[in-house]
This record gives sequence, C-alpha cells and structure tokens, in this order.
Amino acid sequence: MITVDANTMLALLPPVGVALLAMLLVLIDMARPGRDRLLVTFASGGLAILIALTVVIGPLDFGGGHVGLLTSAQEVFAGAYVRDSLTVLIDLVMMSICLLTILFGPDYLRPRGLPTAEFAAMLLFAITGGMLIGGARDLLLLFLALELLVLPGYLLAGYAKRDGLSTEGAIKYFLLGSFSSAIFLFGLVLTFGYTGTTNISEVAAAVTQIVSGSGVGGLAPALLMGLALLTTGAAFKIAAVPFHYWTPDAYQGSPTPVTGYLSVGPKVAAFALILRLFVDALGGLKADWTPFIVVLAAATMTLGNLVALSQDNIKRMLAYSSIAHTGYILVGLAAFGGAPAGSPAEQAGLQSVLFYSVAYTFMNLGAFACVAALQRRPGVTSQIATFAGLGRRAPLLAALMLLFLLSLTGIPPLAGFWAKWYVIQAALQVGGWLTLLAVLTVLNAAAAAFYYLRVAVYMYMRDPSENAPPVTVGGATRAGLGLAALGTVAIGLIPPVTIAVIVMAERAAQALL
Amino acid sequence: MLDLNGLPLLSLITFIPLAGALVIAFLPRERLDLIRWAALATSLLAWAVSLLLVVGFDRSMPGFQFGEVADWVPAFGIQYKLGVDGISLALVVLTTTLTWISILASFSPIKERVKEYMISFLILEVGMVGVFLALDMFLFYIFWELVLIPMYLIIGIWGGANRIYATIKFVLYTLVGSLLMLVAILAVAYSYQAATGTWVGAFDYLTLHAYGFDPTLQFWAFAGFFLAFAIKVPMFPFHTWLPDAHVEAPTAGSVILAGVLLKLGGYGLLRFAVPLFPQAAADWAPLIIVLSLIAIVYGAIVALVQPDLKKLVAYSSVSHMGFVTLGIFIFTEQGVHGAVLQMIAHGIITGALFLLVGVIYERTHDRAIAKMGGLAGALPVYSAIFGFFVLASLGLPGLAGFVGEFLVIVGAFDYFPWAAAVAALAMMLGAAYLLFMYQRVVFGDLSEFLKGLGHHLTDMTRVEVVTLAPLVVLAVGFGVFPGLLLELFQGPVNEFLARVGPAALALR
Repeated sequence: MITVDANTMLALLPPVGVALLAMLLVLIDMARPGRDRLLVTFASGGLAILIALTVVIGPLDFGGGHVGLLTSAQEVFAGAYVRDSLTVLIDLVMMSICLLTILFGPDYLRPRGLPTAEFAAMLLFAITGGMLIGGARDLLLLFLALELLVLPGYLLAGYAKRDGLSTEGAIKYFLLGSFSSAIFLFGLVLTFGYTGTTNISEVAAAVTQIVSGSGVGGLAPALLMGLALLTTGAAFKIAAVPFHYWTPDAYQGSPTPVTGYLSVGPKVAAFALILRLFVDALGGLKADWTPFIVVLAAATMTLGNLVALSQDNIKRMLAYSSIAHTGYILVGLAAFGGAPAGSPAEQAGLQSVLFYSVAYTFMNLGAFACVAALQRRPGVTSQIATFAGLGRRAPLLAALMLLFLLSLTGIPPLAGFWAKWYVIQAALQVGGWLTLLAVLTVLNAAAAAFYYLRVAVYMYMRDPSENAPPVTVGGATRAGLGLAALGTVAIGLIPPVTIAVIVMAERAAQALL
Repeated sequence: MLDLNGLPLLSLITFIPLAGALVIAFLPRERLDLIRWAALATSLLAWAVSLLLVVGFDRSMPGFQFGEVADWVPAFGIQYKLGVDGISLALVVLTTTLTWISILASFSPIKERVKEYMISFLILEVGMVGVFLALDMFLFYIFWELVLIPMYLIIGIWGGANRIYATIKFVLYTLVGSLLMLVAILAVAYSYQAATGTWVGAFDYLTLHAYGFDPTLQFWAFAGFFLAFAIKVPMFPFHTWLPDAHVEAPTAGSVILAGVLLKLGGYGLLRFAVPLFPQAAADWAPLIIVLSLIAIVYGAIVALVQPDLKKLVAYSSVSHMGFVTLGIFIFTEQGVHGAVLQMIAHGIITGALFLLVGVIYERTHDRAIAKMGGLAGALPVYSAIFGFFVLASLGLPGLAGFVGEFLVIVGAFDYFPWAAAVAALAMMLGAAYLLFMYQRVVFGDLSEFLKGLGHHLTDMTRVEVVTLAPLVVLAVGFGVFPGLLLELFQGPVNEFLARVGPAALALR
C-alpha cells in the first residue's frame, strides 16, 4: 500500500525538483530563446535553492546532532526509494557537480555556437538519475536510475555535433555504455532469479541465507555468475581498468565542461550504485567480490597513472588521472570488503569512499573549469603547451589551477590530501594485503605528482608562446572556479567544514551497515 | 628580565614569515626594492625572535620547552603541538640565520619575478622551522610537505638551464619518501589506537616516544621513516637528486638546500625514526653504518673529479652528511654529539661555500673550475674568505667542521674501529679535493677566461661581505668553543641514548 503523506513528499522533493527545473529550463528557452545569461542564473539559482532544501529536509548530521525536518531514514514507494544519510550526501554531491558545471560550462559553449539550455537541461536530467541511484532500495529503480543517468551523458558527449572527435567519443561511449548496461542488467536478472525479489533489503536477507547455507540450493554458481556480471557492469561505469577503454576518447572528444562533468558525475553516481548494490544488497557475498575489487583497485590506479605520465593532451591526461582516482576510491571499497563483518574498519572503508568522492568532486571539476576557462576562445587546443606561461598571462587562473593540481596530488592540507588520508587509513586498519594496497596507493600518488606538476612547470617555468591570445574569464566561470576552490580549500583547511564532511560520510556509511 | 614564557614564541617564529609573505603578496609587483626589503625585514624579525628563544632557553632543563598545545582534529587526537629542545633550538636558529642571509644574497642575482621569489622563500622558512618545532606527527608531516612546494618553485623558476629536470627529480624523490612515511605515521597511529582503544595521543610524539611498538611494526615503520629521511639527507644510494638540484638551483636555493633541507633528514632520524623504533633502528644500524661509510668515501671521490664548482660542493655534502648518519647510528655519546654538531657546522660552512660559488658565478656566469685561476691577485678579499671556508670544510682544527667529524670518529672508534678508520681516511680525501680545487681556482696566473671579463671581475661587494661575515664568526666560534653547542645538546643526547641504549648494546 503506497501512502502519500508530507514526509513522502519531502523525501521525493530533491530529485523531483531537479527534474522539474530541467523541464522549466526547456520551457523558458522555448519562450525566450537565446537568453543564456537568464538561463544560467535561473538554473544555478534553482539548484542553490534545491541544495538548501535538501539540507533543510535532511536527515542530515554535521556532527552537532540532526538538522532538518526528517530525523530518520524515510522510505517511500513501499521501500523502493529511501531518503537516508547516504541519499542526502549523494544528492548534495550530484547537485554541486551540476551547479559547478552549469556555472563554468556556458562560457565555453557560447563562443562555439552550442546552446546553453539543452546543455543545462540534460545535465539536470542526468543528475536526477544520479540522485535516484543514491536513494534506490530496489534493483529495478537502481537500473532505471542508472539509465536516466547515462543516457543524457551520451548526448552530452556528442554535444559538439559538427566536431568529428566529439561524435567519435560519443559513439564509443554509447556503444560500450549500453553494452555494459546490458551486462549489468543480466547480472540483476540472475540476482533476482536466485533471491526472488528486487527489494534490496530482501535481497540482502536472501543472500545472507544463501551464504549461511540455510537457503534453497546453497550458493549457486549462477548467483556468482550474476555477481561477476554486476561487477563487470559497475566497473565499466566507474571506468576501472581493464574496463576503461572508452574513457580517454570520450573525455578527449567531449566539449571540456562535459568532460569535467563526465569525469565526476557518473563516477560518483556509479560509486553510489556500488554502495547500494554491492554493500547494501550483496554485502553478504563480499568475501567473493573483494578479491576482484583489490585487483581492480591496484590495476586501475597503476595503469591510470602510468598512461597519464605520457599524455600531452590535458584532457586525456585528466581522463587517465580520473581513472587513477577511481583506483584510489576502490581501495576504500576494498577496505570495506577486507574488514571482518561488524568491525569499525568496515565503516572506515565506506566512509573513505564517500569522503573521497566529495573531495574529488571539487578538485577535479575545478581543474576542468580552469581548462575550460583557458579554452574559452575557440581554437585553443587541449595541448598541455597552451598552459605555457599562464602564470604571467593569467596569474589568478594559474594559481587556482595549481591549487587544484596540488589537491589532486594529495599535498596537505588540501581536500585531496584528506581524501587519500582516509583511504589509506581505512586500508591500514584492515591490514594484511590491504597494507600493500595502501603502499601501492602512495607510490602511485608520488608518480602522479609528476604529471600534475608538469602542468605547473608549463604554467610557471616556461614562457608563453608569441601568439598566445589573452585569457579572459567570464563571470559565471569565475563563480564556478571560486566555488570549486572554496570546496577544495575549506574541506582541507577549515576544521568545522572538514568535520562536517567527515560526519556526513560517517552517517552515510552507517546508513548502509 | 623579560618574561618570555607567556609569549607563543615558537608560533611567532613559524608564522612571522607567513605573515610577511601575505603582506608581500599585496605589494605592487614593480616595487622591487620594497619587496626585497620587506622580505629581509620579515626574515630578520623571525631571526630576532629565534634569538630571544636562545636567551630564554633553560639549558639546565632536559626535555622540551616553550611548549604550545591546541586541539586540531580531535577525532584523531591530532594536535597543534610545538616544543623546542637543545637540538631543535640550534637548528631553528641555523634556519632563521641562513634564511635572512639567503634573502640578502638574492637581492642582486634575482631580478625576475622578485615578488614570487620572496614569497616562496618565506613560505619555505615556515615549513623548515615548523619541521624542527612540531611535536605532533601529523603537524610534522604537514610542515615536511610544505617545504617541498616552494623549493620546487625556487629551483624550477629561478634555476639554471636544466632546472625543470632537476626540480621534478627533487620533488619525485622526496615525495616517494615522504608518502611512505605518511603510511608509516598512519600505521603507527592506528596500531597505537588499536592497542589502547583511543585516538588521544596517537599522533603525539611524546606519547608515542614512551610507547613500545611490537618488533614487526617497528621494522616496517622504521623502513618508511628511514627512506623519507635517507632521501632528504641524502644517503647513498638515494643521493642522485642532490647534485642536479644543487647545480640548477639559484645560489640562495643551494644555500638553503645544503644548509637546512639536508638537516631535515638528519633531524628526522634523530628525533623520530630512531627513538620511536629503537629496536628496528638497532637492527638496521649495521646496514646504515655501511651506507654512511660508502657515502663518506664515495662523495669525496666523486667530488675529486668534478669539473663544476657547485657539483663539487654538492658531492662534498654527500660526504659530510655521511658523518651525520654514521654518528647517529653508532649510538655512542660522542657519536651523536658529533652528528648534531656536524649538522650545524655543515649548514654554516657549506652554506657559505655555496654563497662563495654564487659570488664568482655572478661575475663570470660560469662555474667551470678549468676556466678559473689566479683569483688571488684579482679578488684578494674573496680569495681569503674562500680559503677560510675551504679550510673549515676540510676539517681544520679550530674551526667548526673539525669538531663534528672528530667526535664522530672518536665515538666510532671504541666499537667500530674499522668504521672510524675508513671515515678518518676519507677526511684526507676531503682535504685533497678541496685544496686541489682551491689551488686551481685561486692560485697561479689569471686565466684567459677571467682576463676576458676585464673590469667586470670585481672583488666582493659590501652586501656580499655582510652575508658571509656572520658565518665566519659562527665557524670560528663553534670551532673554538664547541662546548656552547655540546652543552645545549647534552639533555636530548642523553635521552636519545637512554631510549636506544638496550637495543644498541646488543649491537656491540
């Protein structure tokens, strides 16, 4: 029996609000075509209001007890969707991603004759999907939300439709993406077949029964097959090695703001999916999936970094770097998997995944915002040489880029440092093989410093080329850069903010356990 | 008398340069002289406060003084905790002294992007002083990494022709070490937390110092710390970044690199790696003693054949710093005293040698020994001061360089006579490469290359004399009265030996 009361409405408000905002944008564009500035103001203002509403609705805890109207997890649609601490965290991250991208995107798109309205609307639709994944407690909703997330992504990747590279990237992304969705769906079907339900709590209960041997038929090979298919599908979505081949081309070809979004949005959402599916539903099988995650983590960060070392195209370099960061986040997941059930290390692992996602959002989008700002004038290539002498041409932009790069490297006390700190700390708590993974993580971080600092070398230690055009940064881009920088610095340096994010991640992890 | 205990002196020394850097950030970029003088004034102020510390420091008391504590990240028991003992006091004063000297010495060579240069230099000072004062492992790590970025920029922006290669090599070497140290810091903290059930004290140096870790953890954690410090010292075979960094860095960068940054490694071994993990330190000691001896001999032999003045001084640093690690890991009173004294002496003397190489480089834009010759006639003041520091560096008795190396050899002699013998022989090699170099540069007829410079070849300016004069005073002062420093080190050295005592006895 589905009841609709005030709490149900509250619980659904953020994702529904974002979808409505997207539709409104399309309508405004039809009524008043070409009013880009109005659209950006409207979209970012709407998102800011929705972010505030999400905080007001809760359930949220910054460390000083609950704030917000909901004080505990609120299930709706007979348990298919839940608004708990994890949902709130994912909602906030997804909306921040969208807000930042909408702020710095149009300044890049407009000079290229690409429309703003569709861009913003598709982004909003995509993050609606991401937000629904965050709260999905049903396998079907999980899959539908995933498709809602990725479909606009394909369109966005091919947004510069007269650009061959963009189209090529979009087709690759589409083919491999839909292929992996099918694999993923097949995995879901097998899971459904063996548990007889799509509700995640019931799946979890059934899996526990099967693992303990009291269920029907014991641990069937087909369930493991399903697990393997689900792992493969999820690994595609987060672009873990060896399922990462679509990433560099899709990232290089897409318009820069879209690349920024793709490197963060679908990734964070896919990690939310992993948390809901692998931790929540299939947590009982973690002894079976953990070895794969450990291998995936090691391979992903190492290969991502090694290939990034040799890139001369900044977007490709950041694409491989984002693969490496996926590897670091997977270490946190591996720490959850490797920890004995019920131990504090389990929670530390999940917490590190979430904390890393938050920190990564701001620093990676910030870096892409810098690239987009630099490329505002059409014709500026993505070659790393375009950064030459940026320290003189645009000191503030160069300083911000340096900030984001240092954070991505993991230099204290910026957000990226704390993110690595939590991942490593979680891995060390588990010990054993995970200690080696922690050591591999820091060695990778050191290798990554090479290519991040290479950009800094170009910015500060090389002279600008003779015909380098002046860099002008638009107002909205400035706002986006400022927000990203604020996030990167505040999460790292200002204790109350750090603690608020830590506690949010902690509560979200507890919601899963 | 002025009551110093109420003032947060340590925070002042650490953050005065940061405040200065912030002020400079808002000065107009064309006002070069204003920026230069502001930077100098800031570093002199930090120096003055560090001298107040010397006045107020109670030599009769062992342990840390001027302590400052505040909670930082309570969830992990991380604190903002500073304190100073005899060893860190000497190193802090060395740092503040060399910083103002370096800034003054940069007035004329640095003409481009002066603002960024001075800001980098002052932030570098924050990191260096912070490392010597931090008593919380996390805080220590933050300061340790903070040193990296400004030095990266100083070498990479104001360095020589091959500066980018050198600076990236410097960063990558250091970063590999420091990140493994981060893992070790976390592993130690977690193991403490798991054993005691609380995070309180898990990053506190004094708490961890009093805690005995199990041998397996000690072994690996020591390995993590040791690698970070060994790269910084740098010990053979982790030294290859040093010659590149030194050759490419601007003069003042080399002075700080040799004078202070290498000491961060020695200090780390002395303060953290050994006392926290005494058992592991004793287990590793034989290997480290051998590596130190290799560094001493190898550095000297390689210095013998260097065609470049800066490279010669750089390799001599590898050799001299070998005495520091040797002195620490023989675990005797004289040895540890010698190691600390050698750190101070090397900071003074090698800092001065790099300044002197900078003086000649600024006039000739060349550092090739083969092109020099006959400076004694053309630049008498320069040649005299240069000669003084060459003698100090080769360990002439009566100057600071002698006492440290002598004490290390004496300390080694009782238990490791073979090590003492090798080290003593290497001192002769030191005399050989330094005197050989001095003879080629200073004596004989003025070389064709130098003749070609004509009136550009002038003797030292007043500013250059001002930068070197304090170092001459210190080199003589600590050479004649080493007791001034040794008295300061006695408390910390006793504590160090008490901590490693039982483990070290087994080594003999």
